Amino acid sequence: MTAIPTLLVIILASFFLMRLAPGGPFDGERPLDPATQAALQQAYGLDRPLWEQAWLYISRLVQGDFGPSLVYRDFTVSELIAQGLPISLTLGGLAIVLALMIGVTAGLFAAVRAGQAADKTIMMLATVATALPTFVTGPALALFFGLWLGLLPVSGTGQGAAWLIMPVVALALPVSGAIAKLTRAGLASVLKQDHIRTARARGLPETKILFKHGLRPALVPVASYLGPAAAGLLTGAVVVETVFGLPGLGRYFVQGALNRDYPLVLGVVTLYAALIILFNLFADLIYGWLDPRMREG
Amino acid sequence: MLRRHFPLALVLLIAALALWLPFLLPWSYDQIDWDAVRAPAFSGSHIFGTDDIGRDRLARLAAGTRITLMVAMAAALVSLVVGIAWGATAGWIGGKVDEVMMRIVDGLYALPFMFIVILLMVVFGRSILLVFVGIGLVEWLTMARVVRGQVIALKQRPFILAAEAAGTPSRTIVLRHILPNIAGVALAYLMLTVPQVVMVESFLSFLGLGVQEPLTSLGILVKEGADDMDMAPLGLLLPGGLLVLILVCLTIEGERLRDRFS
Amino acid sequence: MSLYDIRNLEVDIAGKRLVEDVSLTVEAGQCTAIIGASGSGKSLTCLTPFGLTPGTASGSIKLDGVDLRTTDARHLRDIRRRLTGFVFQQPLTALTPHLSVGAQLQEATMQAGAARPSRRELAQKLERVGLARADERLDQFPHRLSGGERQRVMIAAAIAHGPKLLIADEPTSALDASLRAEIMDLLDELRAEQGLGMLLVSHDLASVEHHADQLVVMENGRLVEMGPTREVVTHPAEDYTRRLIAATPRLDEAAPKLSQPGDLLLETVDVGVEFRRPGWRRGTIHAVAEVGLTIGQGESLALVGGSGSGKSTLGRAIAGIGPVTRGEILWEGVSLPERRRRDLDMRRLIQPVFQDPVASLDPQWRVGEIVTEPLRNLRPDLARAERSEMARQALSAVDLAEDFLIRSPASLSGGQAQRVAIARAIIASPRLLVLDEATSALDPLVGAEILQLLRRLQVDNGLSMLVITHDIAAARRLCHRIAVMEEGRIVESGTMQAVIDDPRHPATQKLVAAS
Repeated sequence: MTAIPTLLVIILASFFLMRLAPGGPFDGERPLDPATQAALQQAYGLDRPLWEQAWLYISRLVQGDFGPSLVYRDFTVSELIAQGLPISLTLGGLAIVLALMIGVTAGLFAAVRAGQAADKTIMMLATVATALPTFVTGPALALFFGLWLGLLPVSGTGQGAAWLIMPVVALALPVSGAIAKLTRAGLASVLKQDHIRTARARGLPETKILFKHGLRPALVPVASYLGPAAAGLLTGAVVVETVFGLPGLGRYFVQGALNRDYPLVLGVVTLYAALIILFNLFADLIYGWLDPRMREG
Repeated sequence: MLRRHFPLALVLLIAALALWLPFLLPWSYDQIDWDAVRAPAFSGSHIFGTDDIGRDRLARLAAGTRITLMVAMAAALVSLVVGIAWGATAGWIGGKVDEVMMRIVDGLYALPFMFIVILLMVVFGRSILLVFVGIGLVEWLTMARVVRGQVIALKQRPFILAAEAAGTPSRTIVLRHILPNIAGVALAYLMLTVPQVVMVESFLSFLGLGVQEPLTSLGILVKEGADDMDMAPLGLLLPGGLLVLILVCLTIEGERLRDRFS
Repeated sequence: MSLYDIRNLEVDIAGKRLVEDVSLTVEAGQCTAIIGASGSGKSLTCLTPFGLTPGTASGSIKLDGVDLRTTDARHLRDIRRRLTGFVFQQPLTALTPHLSVGAQLQEATMQAGAARPSRRELAQKLERVGLARADERLDQFPHRLSGGERQRVMIAAAIAHGPKLLIADEPTSALDASLRAEIMDLLDELRAEQGLGMLLVSHDLASVEHHADQLVVMENGRLVEMGPTREVVTHPAEDYTRRLIAATPRLDEAAPKLSQPGDLLLETVDVGVEFRRPGWRRGTIHAVAEVGLTIGQGESLALVGGSGSGKSTLGRAIAGIGPVTRGEILWEGVSLPERRRRDLDMRRLIQPVFQDPVASLDPQWRVGEIVTEPLRNLRPDLARAERSEMARQALSAVDLAEDFLIRSPASLSGGQAQRVAIARAIIASPRLLVLDEATSALDPLVGAEILQLLRRLQVDNGLSMLVITHDIAAARRLCHRIAVMEEGRIVESGTMQAVIDDPRHPATQKLVAAS
């Protein structure tokens, strides 16, 4: 229920923060003459009081209008988002699915073999994976598989789905490591709980105990990590899009930030905040399913 | 001791090298050797060669590591101080104060943080001070949550009630009973915050929004290396590998410490 | 031939022998109870043969003619599936949180290969263990049920597949005193009805002696004594058993010698404690309401009630370490202010002792610092040397040697830690101790020693006490009078013996019956 106010606060905070900045979007290489400057200011509504601008912005936002881009002058922000969002969402979505598949499987495997060599190896790999920043793995993957082995395209969104492989792997690696650790730790603590002993006392096979009685509560920490993971993926996408030259939202954001394209940056922050909040709500729903005790909060 | 804390020892060794190497090397990190542009490794006095404009790789690596670790420690300390102050206050006072304070933390958690930091960098200019203040202010949230949880758990322990019954003033209870009992956990999370900060700083620097030239950091070196990797892969692999090594070591050590105290 | 027959059982965990040479039998339709302190190996003895602990069992173990002595996990699983049912101590955590009661009961019913039961059949199973609105319960998750209800579900599930042996590991010790008798009676009924053999484990002799046919006493992993319950209790052959019986408080034992109470010391007038509901919801919880009680000089008052009755909240209010929202607490006729406004002289009058002795001591401090903490604040007039002299005296008053001063809390046993907590409470010469379940986390023998220590402090030093407990029989050893609390109110009070002989209120009757 706090989603809408949170979003509003984020929009307003970012809005005013941007306006605090010295310098504006029209401070180019050579200064414009004052008349043109004023005309431009007026055309984009930058001469009105700040509150009025904020109000205007939000009321347009509600109708899905993010305003015009100040730097990509022939496009509205909505058009840029429509162009970039599908790419970013594809990257992020595939990455989280991949990370969940790898992470939960690895964590499960390690927990079943707790204390054995396989467990220690998997957990070591998971720790290394969490420490692999996308801005290192991205270029490194491109170097090995693109430049040296020539297996995968280094840049752009060419034919087929091959272009997705390296960006998605670079994004998913650290998340999968974190998920593996959370799954392992969650299962290890759940498997020590009394209700597992009850299930064991019933003479159930170990696999059934694991999947029917153990796994769901063990995934609670994973669910609570989904929100931060989504944020991490969106951030990672900025790098990955830059490294692999993909026209996603992240690249527009960085370009917008460097060029003080207020509406573009604001639009992207708003959208990302909404996505992350949405993901947190989704995680809350999963909580209730994983452990009904959490439904009453 | 050394065997058990090998990862920490390794990080300390790297830090010591980063501090001492500049005195030993004939080249400084921003000095251009016009005679040896793109020199390969082990050529003359350039152990790891030079980059595309002739600067010594090892010297730059040392300088970058120094800045990265410095920013990381400063920012982690900021997060420690803010996190403990915020978390301990919320947990100790409790009630509505706690709820409001923790709602703020929850709200901030939901933010796309990196973007806010990027906004900050854009708005207030790209100074190194701002880099670690910004990062420190981002990374205190987890510390605040952990500390608050610990304080609330401790507050219900009978020895705190017994101290109150013994007439011990609130301030003394917090200083002598609460803080010593959360020190271990706080230290563990401080240790875990350092790699987080290293990651954030390098990320910002990679995008050109963090540490600025002529200063350098591991993030900048990775960026430079990535731009030039088809010509000189060493430029990417050296700083990238070192960064990952530092992150892995700090994470292992931090997690060990956390598991011991929780 | 006995239903269940263990001979020369030995249990090892990680190369350490924790149970040695234990033999016992369980007959069909009868109950054998193992009693012993924590660490006596009683749970290991009953769970290890079925593969439910990390240990390995050796010796001759036969259930219904089947040999259990095997390393084959599948074989043991098959035995558990068909022949045994288990009830554990913690009903709060023993059921799977994300599966409905019906789903878990169905799983238990089908575990030995029975066909899928109808909803009606499942509901009947719940009704049989005394759960009302059984049909509705089937769809509920365990956390919706109270502790007693959950334990009934556990029992229904444990017998759903028609086992021959029921193993109950401390089935009632996590429950309120008033519920314990009901659960034990239910187990008796089911045992008789289904011809079940039952192996019962408990640390509390009083709670099992009326239900067990055979009694097995264990100490330090060895069998001390065994035989028909009546015989063991009336004619114990071993010294340990005698001490255990003496340590177990009973309502029918001889009245204790207590001090003679003097003038009125403490009086509460219409005291109430209200909490705001947590979260942003409105409304208040009345934890304590309109309580009036008195304690005289040198007198001990037992404050008895179930969990959630408000007795601890009231105790904390009186000790000045919890809120008071209504009414007045009078000390020799003068009003004591609320928590934060009590000055040091007032603090000196009343000192608390808590249930969990380990959590009562700051793990970072040494015993010497812990014991002198009250002196540093309440007696600023004392020099350092005087303080440590008083610490020595306080330790000797609780029968601890001087060298405990430099020990750390982690190195103390439960009984020693509780003695340190009592030393801290008495060092600044208070006049009233508030004892919040001070003996209930301790093993029976240790608990009895602490009770004796407290009685000595009462008789020799004239200390008054407010004894908060759920155990009337234990309280009777220390207290002159009793007040019974239910839902925040005092529902009955009077002299100890009078209330025990003729309990009026249903809450009191339940508590007395349970003792």
